[in-house]
Amino acid sequence: MPEPVARSPVAPAPPVVVKAGWEVSGRRADATGASALTLTDCTPLTKVQLRAPVDGEFAASLGVPFGRAARDPDGTLVVGSGPGEWLLLAAPGQAGGLEPMLEEAADQAPGESVTWVDLTHGRALFRLYGSPAARVLAKVCGIDWSDGITPDGAAFRASVAALATDVIRDDVGGAPSYLLHCERSSGRYLFDALLAAGAEFAIEIDGFDPPGI
Amino acid sequence: MSEPTSALRLPPQPGEVINRGEPLEFTWNGHPVRGYAGDTIVSALAATGERVFSRSMKYHRPRGLLSASFHDPGCMVQVGDEPNVRGAHRLVAGGIAVTSQNTWPSLRLDAKAVNRLAGRFLTAGFYYKTFMRPRFAWPAYESVLRRFVNAGTVSPGTAHTRAEKRHAHPDVLIAGGGPAGMAAAISAARAGASVLLVEEEHALGGHLRWGSEADLAVLAELAGLVAAEPGIEVLTDAVALGRYDGNSVAILERRHGGAEAERLIRARAKTMVVAPGLIERPYVFAGNDLPGVMLSTAVRRLINLYAVKPGQRAVVLTANPDGDAAVADLKRAGVEVVRVEDARLGGDIVAATGRTGVRAVQVADGTRIACDLLVTAVGWTAPTSLLNAAGDRPVYSPQAARYFPDAARLPENVLVTGGIAGDGSVEELTAHAAAVGAEAARRAARTAAAWIAATPTATAPEAATTAAVGPDAEAGHEESVRHIPELPVDAHPALFAGRTNGFVDFSEDVSAKDLRAAVAEGFRGAELAKRFTTATMGPLQGKLETVNTVAVVAAATGATIAETGTTTWRPPYVPITLGALAGRAFEPVRYSPMQPWHDAHGAVPLVAGAWIRPDRYGDAAAEAANVREHVGIIDVTPIGKLDLRGPDVPKLLNLLYVNKWSKLEIGRVRYGVMCAEDGVVLDDGVTGRLGEEHYLMSTTSSGAATIWEWVENWLQTEHPDWRVHVTPVTTGYASMNVAGPQARRLIERVTKDVDLSNEAFPYMHVRTGTIAGVSDSVLWRIGFTGELSYEIHVPAGYGLHVWETLMAAGADLGVAAFGVEAQRILRLEKGHFIVGQDTDGLTKAFSAGLDWAIKLDKDDFAGKPELAWQLAQGITTKLVGLQPVDSSVVPEEASLIVDGDTIAGRITSSRMSPTLRRSICLAQVEARLAEPGTMVTVRLPSGGLIQARVTPQHAHVDPDGGRMRA
Repeated sequence: MPEPVARSPVAPAPPVVVKAGWEVSGRRADATGASALTLTDCTPLTKVQLRAPVDGEFAASLGVPFGRAARDPDGTLVVGSGPGEWLLLAAPGQAGGLEPMLEEAADQAPGESVTWVDLTHGRALFRLYGSPAARVLAKVCGIDWSDGITPDGAAFRASVAALATDVIRDDVGGAPSYLLHCERSSGRYLFDALLAAGAEFAIEIDGFDPPGI
Repeated sequence: MSEPTSALRLPPQPGEVINRGEPLEFTWNGHPVRGYAGDTIVSALAATGERVFSRSMKYHRPRGLLSASFHDPGCMVQVGDEPNVRGAHRLVAGGIAVTSQNTWPSLRLDAKAVNRLAGRFLTAGFYYKTFMRPRFAWPAYESVLRRFVNAGTVSPGTAHTRAEKRHAHPDVLIAGGGPAGMAAAISAARAGASVLLVEEEHALGGHLRWGSEADLAVLAELAGLVAAEPGIEVLTDAVALGRYDGNSVAILERRHGGAEAERLIRARAKTMVVAPGLIERPYVFAGNDLPGVMLSTAVRRLINLYAVKPGQRAVVLTANPDGDAAVADLKRAGVEVVRVEDARLGGDIVAATGRTGVRAVQVADGTRIACDLLVTAVGWTAPTSLLNAAGDRPVYSPQAARYFPDAARLPENVLVTGGIAGDGSVEELTAHAAAVGAEAARRAARTAAAWIAATPTATAPEAATTAAVGPDAEAGHEESVRHIPELPVDAHPALFAGRTNGFVDFSEDVSAKDLRAAVAEGFRGAELAKRFTTATMGPLQGKLETVNTVAVVAAATGATIAETGTTTWRPPYVPITLGALAGRAFEPVRYSPMQPWHDAHGAVPLVAGAWIRPDRYGDAAAEAANVREHVGIIDVTPIGKLDLRGPDVPKLLNLLYVNKWSKLEIGRVRYGVMCAEDGVVLDDGVTGRLGEEHYLMSTTSSGAATIWEWVENWLQTEHPDWRVHVTPVTTGYASMNVAGPQARRLIERVTKDVDLSNEAFPYMHVRTGTIAGVSDSVLWRIGFTGELSYEIHVPAGYGLHVWETLMAAGADLGVAAFGVEAQRILRLEKGHFIVGQDTDGLTKAFSAGLDWAIKLDKDDFAGKPELAWQLAQGITTKLVGLQPVDSSVVPEEASLIVDGDTIAGRITSSRMSPTLRRSICLAQVEARLAEPGTMVTVRLPSGGLIQARVTPQHAHVDPDGGRMRA
């Protein structure tokens, strides 16, 4: 019986390689630097959804309010994706590794209803990177992408190409960058929509490299 | 090839926009023409001596250049298969084929001009009085009338293009890129605002572009300052179509990416500055539509932008400095200006005469002057539509003979500047605009601060107060209101309609006489006269006609222009193609992780909502038979799945389902039905208990989103105290159902950690384990087909791997994929109903045969009162199994069940059963006909009648369920 390999809803652009147990694209974009525009399928990232009282001890321990995202000391991106709801984004295969931390934190908040669900396979997730990124998104979403309204660290849910999508602004090296994730079965559609919108700006697919976050 | 006639193409002009180094060749009505890059279609034709570009709508009178702008009524042409192109605005491109519209046999000799002979019968509103009788003749009338409609042709073979859309959120949107617009943009950008500057022409500058050398110098300076500001985005060949609530503005971008490609921009501006300038008005007099009658701005554009001599011998009627400047330009271009009638001194034009162009003009003192060009400069129209949309009601100034905005009525987020606000020198106008721009930026910053403070995604609140505050601001303090200087208002003669009858609306062929006749018939207001005559209803949407129309109606009624009022400006400001409005269609599509396998194996796609599912791989009946005989696998990923966690999940399940859930053990699965509060069946599915406080609920595929909302609605609004967390995991799992007598053998080959024996893992139980090497997989012993079956849910990323592993492992067992159609056959054989197919929006649970599931002794559940009432009242309809007497007949679904002349039910599901080799059905029937053995009559869509017998139970195959419990 062959070893299981996980796949994204997006067929990887050649060359196809296996990293961290996932079939991913090994492509490298030709253009580099902040002026380049790239789209990377980051679906292999670990995604764990937390639920807890919006104003309880557990929420305070996370330290990330609704509408914001921030990295913890271990590099996990903690996203305040909704009132009383958080999404943890970590390197592939880390869902089990996060559990002890979550259990410890839950123990520090006795009486609070705290649950978590591994959504690694339930969400497709992409990174749109580069200075033209906001102009691409302006073609598929009506959100105001200015620095004042959606600065680095903003997290929200919007309609992107008519699809309910969670967006996190996560700048890299000072260049604008956005993480977009949706329910998995629409991943291929969203990826294609972003590629089509980015064609005007010479968007390229860039392969996934763990840890990827 | 027509070479530019040396007499009409002028030597290089200081402000010309043509590129003489790039000649372009195109055809006009089949004849080759040469122009230059930067020429418009009509300027290139005018340079060759062409004067007639179209025929008018009703009378097919020859028409030429009037305004030489987008709003020129006489210059609509067809370019290739694109109709109604504004020839005085569209740039020439090499190789285009330009033709006149709706002329036969030619533009020069248009037979439809015969309409002029019937002119007295074709006055405004003629269609209300003629072509009415006899009624049966209308189709003939219509076919004749259509031949005279002045519109181009659209080829059915025209390629459909996808127009893109874009969103924009500027701090300051400036509509109009003339000197005022540019100055406002510079000022706003220097104050720290992001600016979107929208200009209708191909370049910024407004009237400066065809102005004097001093104007060109000002233009160059302003353009340089605009280009130097990184915060200004400039859109040329773009128009603000309309202003909506919250300063949402629709912008049409006619060219982008260097090509003629319309795109809609949906902008939401914190403030908007309206700086559209003024549109020159025509004068109404006999012969005012003859080719060779032009506005002063038209001749200045032709000379200064396109280096085209407008004529040889001109008469000019001027009432303002722009007319005076046109005289100077004409002389500089070598045109013989034989007479200047100065309206400020009593001068006037009585009539122009000619057939295909101006030949002579009669002036106020009666003198008849031979000429080929008549230029008028009689005043301006203020294009106030964006202001009207913002709630303004412009006020007419008799002193200036035009309308002005009423600043007191404008909302905080709309400002106005430029010629539409007042007169003055370029310096005065730009100073006013700079102040307006700064004030617009100040208001935008205040709005931005409020929005940022209210937005959870923003940075710390203290940062919001410093947002969008430029270098001129006092740090830490809100900027004070900018002082905006007053603009002077120059006096202008009120010149609208002259002494003789002429055209008011050139596009609609409506004359002053038509308007006076309308008033005489009782249509005494501007709006009524408009609707009766269609004045201002043509392609120009009133830009050249509105004020003249109002003036003629006012004169006819004895009222003033102010008393008469205008018609209502409505968006779009200019036409926009339906393609640009629609934009690219975003239609999300959903795929299972196994879709690549389905595609590779010839699956016929079934569109199920947003999902693409495999309907069949070949013969659906054979697929179903294979399940009964061997083993089949179906992709059921779309089945709704909700992860439920928390100590109060049983309370939730008891509330939502009609049956009882308090004692569901870990590892057990229970079937449940949900009803809405009216007792109507809402959804069904199974829920299994995976852990102490962990459950997995399944729903129908089409009900997944609805049930999630349903669950959350109950939790958030009715029971926020319940400790339950719901997470949709529909696509987090790849789901597949393995069904058939060989199902257990196949599963055993790929599963670890799970005892699959019937004793250890009986029907309606759930286990977790490792399947095909994938841990955390969920294995349900449930089924929809009536066979021994297991429903597997694996983390979705491994779905294809597991599917392929099963297919490989079961090759010797006869494993084959089966699609949705085969599943429908199998479930019908088993008698399982489908919510929404065998039930409808009125089917309460008892009517669906769910008596066994409904526990009215529960404290409460959604729909209980209605179901109790239904039971007490008596059940009027029932879902039954049905078998036609003639087993070869498969009645179409929705076929009626009749009892004499009355309808007694309908077929809800119907198939040919490969297992029984006969037709089988489910049906809703009146309760009195639901007894097993009852014969009912089915009316087929063809009208034929067949007999069918009610079966003892819904299941047609294995009613005792022995196969699925094996």
